[in-house]
Amino acid sequence: MTRSNQKWYDKPVTKLILITIAVTWMFPLFGFLLSSFRPGESIKRSSWWDAIYTGTIWSELSFDNYVEVFRAENLDRSFYNSLAVTIPSTIIPITIAAFAAYAFAFMEFKGKDILFLFVVGSMIIPLQMSLIPLVQLFKDGIEIAGIPIIPALDLNGTFVATWFAHTGFGLPLATFLLRDFMMGLPKSVIESAKIDGASHFTTFFKLVLPLSVAGIAAFGTFQFLWVYNDFLVANVFLGIYKPENLVVTSHMSQIVVGRFGEAWHLRTSGAVISIIVPLAVFFGLQRFFIRGLVGGAVKG
Amino acid sequence: MDELKLTISMKQNTQQKKLFTFGISTLALVIFPLAWFLSQAILFRELTEQVTRNVLVLIAIPLGSTLVFLLFLGMDRLIKLVPRDSREVLEARMFVGPSIFMIFLFLFYPAMRTIYLSFKDRYSNDFIGLENYKWAFTDAEMITTIRNQVVWLISVVVLTVFVGLIVAWLTDRLNKGESFFKSIVFMPMAISAVGATAIFKFIYEYRPPPLTQIGIINGIRVSKGEECFNNRIIDGVLEGYDDDSCVNAVGWLQQRDLSALPIADTLESGGWFSNLLINLPINTMLLMIIMVWMYTGFAAVVFSAGIKAIPGEIMEAGQIDGASELRIFRSIVIPYIKSTVIVVGTYMVVTVLKAFDIIYVSTRGDLETNLLAVKMLDEFSKYRNFGRSSVVAVLIFVCVLPVIVGTALRERENSSS
Repeated sequence: MTRSNQKWYDKPVTKLILITIAVTWMFPLFGFLLSSFRPGESIKRSSWWDAIYTGTIWSELSFDNYVEVFRAENLDRSFYNSLAVTIPSTIIPITIAAFAAYAFAFMEFKGKDILFLFVVGSMIIPLQMSLIPLVQLFKDGIEIAGIPIIPALDLNGTFVATWFAHTGFGLPLATFLLRDFMMGLPKSVIESAKIDGASHFTTFFKLVLPLSVAGIAAFGTFQFLWVYNDFLVANVFLGIYKPENLVVTSHMSQIVVGRFGEAWHLRTSGAVISIIVPLAVFFGLQRFFIRGLVGGAVKG
Repeated sequence: MDELKLTISMKQNTQQKKLFTFGISTLALVIFPLAWFLSQAILFRELTEQVTRNVLVLIAIPLGSTLVFLLFLGMDRLIKLVPRDSREVLEARMFVGPSIFMIFLFLFYPAMRTIYLSFKDRYSNDFIGLENYKWAFTDAEMITTIRNQVVWLISVVVLTVFVGLIVAWLTDRLNKGESFFKSIVFMPMAISAVGATAIFKFIYEYRPPPLTQIGIINGIRVSKGEECFNNRIIDGVLEGYDDDSCVNAVGWLQQRDLSALPIADTLESGGWFSNLLINLPINTMLLMIIMVWMYTGFAAVVFSAGIKAIPGEIMEAGQIDGASELRIFRSIVIPYIKSTVIVVGTYMVVTVLKAFDIIYVSTRGDLETNLLAVKMLDEFSKYRNFGRSSVVAVLIFVCVLPVIVGTALRERENSSS
């Protein structure tokens, strides 16, 4: 677009403001990242900007903190735990939601509108609303008038509990987004498959699923980052007291809250490690992530 | 006679068929999902106890992710046994069923139960009426929490929307580098709130003098003045700031008002405005900055998409009329992306209401910084009072409800008109 009535100073001023904002945004990360490469003693002895000013910083930089946070702190175990929580918690809701979305988009059945309203309505429930009863459900099951509907499972503290919890919290949005996406697919293709005698099951797997990859990726990226960065659900269902149950965020929270006093060399390096995976996912799949995010803007 | 027999047998036949279909559908749609849920739960619970952690992780990732396909395959197999004409209905139920089942069991039923629990006592034994609700609005700590929540809601939402608009508008005017700037501002969105809090704690860090101040705010404060240094070695001598002429370091996250800062002296003599200002909760404001840092990029990216959707002719018409940039922004851009602003505002309101991690890992809700979501968990796991915890959850829900319903209604109005 040509901007004929832009003043000569408009562009430089715009750039100046933007650079100021960008520097402001990067600044917190910069000192933190730098400190993660400095030995714990140096971090305490001299501030990082002083170290740059006096030039001592160049001789200090090393990966020792990272080695320590892995070796002594077992952060790698928490990292694997995080993956064991995150990957199924992303795939299970996507699978279940994709089937439901297909039915809402392409099938006719009784009560379709009401059920869809139920799904959309559930999006406004904040997860805090279902936290306590869900913990009780996973522990003691459900009993109605003395008859056990779901037996006492004692699931809390296992990965399964977080999978189901995240599935419940993520499903409404997933179903809604995927149905929205599938509605955009050409109806004629699905109908022609039906005429050819393909069952819904085949149509779903062979046709609709491959066509919906972009929609699935959008929600998948969103859910992956959400679960990986989540602390509340991990805190409640896995707990923070057993070290072998920690995920990256809860492990980081332990380090940051200060089990070791001023362990800034561990806090910085640990946090940087915890940031790497989401950042990689983010920059790799930014396009999808934004889409899922905008769609998720109404999630409760 | 024969004809009658035939009809009777046919009737029996259809009844049998119906019974058979009913049996299969119960099996497929009720028993099988429940069995799947229970077996997956029990399987992994047992595995947790039996195998070592590494093996568990190795098994959990592929199995946990794929067992759900078994659910649908199994249901499909069972439904295939049913005669063709009644299969279509069952198939639809099979596709929708698990989603509805899980939302009901893991989200809807617990939410309803939370409302129910909010009327009961701390052990969920006896009904105590509105006692918990009375507590929520009279308890001193709860009132502080609600005050903080309101402050957070207003400040964080306004700031993210405002800065987001500026970034979106300015980046849109660039010929190149647009996505670069947007990515930089957006990037914190990928960082966990725990990580972001760690980053900002490092900035706000306070160490008792004469230790070196490693947080940059205190570091700059104490090295003000000619004789003051942040423990720098100059000519072999360690120069500190332990001197009366130097500015004190401040424990930022411990400051619930301005009274510990030098500015308080000038405020003390003032009128009502100074009195108000001196109560400014510094720690709460500093914690809010973390959230603004995290979410501004999101607002900017969404707004930027909205600005891009404005038809070029309208912008050009404004330019031809000689409108200034600011005028175009106010009279064209803002009205055009109003609905986007509302969507982002809604998202932020909901996010702020659920904000938990930042407080939990920074001040743990002490020093008058608490928020509803943290209070809710504290009542649950620290004080073991399920009734009060439920009330706080209901409070969050009640605040979220009108915001989202309002947006949904507005959206529908827009799409229908």
